[in-house]
Amino acid sequence: MDEALEHAVAEGRCGDRFWLYATYHCNLACVYCLTESRPGISNRRTLSRATMVGLGEEARELGFSALGVTGGETFMLADFAETLAELAAILPTVALTNGTLFTDRLLDRIAPLAELDVALQISLDSPDPARNDAWRGPENFAKVAVAVPRLVERGVRVRIATTVEDQSEEELERLCALHRAWGIDDDDHLVRSIVRRGRAALDGFGVEPGPTDILPELTITADGAFLHPFAPTVRHGVTDLDLLVSRQVRPLEAALDRFLRVVADQPAGTDVVRNIR
Amino acid sequence: MSRLRLLERDEAPLHARALYAADGAASPLKRSLANAPDLLETLMPFLGQIFDEGAVDLPTKELVVVRVSRLNGCRYCLASHRPIAVDVGVPEEQLGAVCDERPLGELPVRERTIVEWVDAYVLDPGGISDELVAGVLDHLRDDQLVELAILIGATALLNAYCTAFDIPAAV
Repeated sequence: MDEALEHAVAEGRCGDRFWLYATYHCNLACVYCLTESRPGISNRRTLSRATMVGLGEEARELGFSALGVTGGETFMLADFAETLAELAAILPTVALTNGTLFTDRLLDRIAPLAELDVALQISLDSPDPARNDAWRGPENFAKVAVAVPRLVERGVRVRIATTVEDQSEEELERLCALHRAWGIDDDDHLVRSIVRRGRAALDGFGVEPGPTDILPELTITADGAFLHPFAPTVRHGVTDLDLLVSRQVRPLEAALDRFLRVVADQPAGTDVVRNIR
Repeated sequence: MSRLRLLERDEAPLHARALYAADGAASPLKRSLANAPDLLETLMPFLGQIFDEGAVDLPTKELVVVRVSRLNGCRYCLASHRPIAVDVGVPEEQLGAVCDERPLGELPVRERTIVEWVDAYVLDPGGISDELVAGVLDHLRDDQLVELAILIGATALLNAYCTAFDIPAAV
């Protein structure tokens, strides 16, 4: 257990979840995507299964208490179902997914997740299919509306993440009614602003994150270690480096040391004002 | 056109921002090195010790840096270090000589001997004669020769880096 990490977490300077960017490849091209992820990108910047599992084990040894996996679309990786099961056996894990790839075959492969401490966090921005799909792509709503009940039925924990731009209270209330009908509690519904970085910044979406808006959480991508999962953004195909804390990621202790040196400058008791996480 | 991203201060990784002045200024070399912030933790103190005054005086060090950069054809390092050499007191005539604008024979005997040894060290280290070493040791101690040897290596490292990545000279 890294004492410096323990103290930083206790003081609210950083979170205790360790994040992995599985890939920058995606089957969707959401208008507010932080990483310009989309189908057919040439540089997918993928972390291998061995790398992710190895880093997850190092994270546990260093004292992190949870894992997160994001992208890109995590399930674009052919072996992600099995990778996720391995990660969840290490620490409680949340994996972000757009929920559009859950075929019968994939549902069978993720069946073991029902027995593990793992949640799939699926994005859904509106109860109105046309509104949702305008942000997230054609047929996204319909695919999510099919996938979520099937996952819940199989005992897989699902969280819904809603990225807000101009949704009304009434629209969000209908969305809540929808996830409750699927058997997903309000505690598993995350509502957060679009962060004005990456593609969102180019198109003028979202909010400019302030210093206390995003909780630092050590995040590893194929480009290095970053301050939080909203840091390794991409503009015009080039990764933003302003929130890079280390190019070296193995051993993870070296990246954690550099991360904690940055975190030491954070105000103690930082609160996540906009729930951007 | 640089083949590496030359990062502005607000684009630079957090640990690299110490390279930049308060107004955001930094040389193109530093702006390129900012892409690899982890290396800076050891590279910058290393370069600082090697290029700053040590057992060898600064005019001698800068004369050597300019000569090595000339031999390696590094436009960036010549543009950067020739003015520095002037600032620390290297006569223009000596700089002209090590840049092959004047005959090397015009250098004072100490500087001429050092430059002969530098040329051999860069171009044909295996061919350095005992007489050449003995000659340079008439003007420098062992530790000073070690310091110059490391300085030559560091300069050559930067020469190759700046040339290969086409780092533009600061304006």
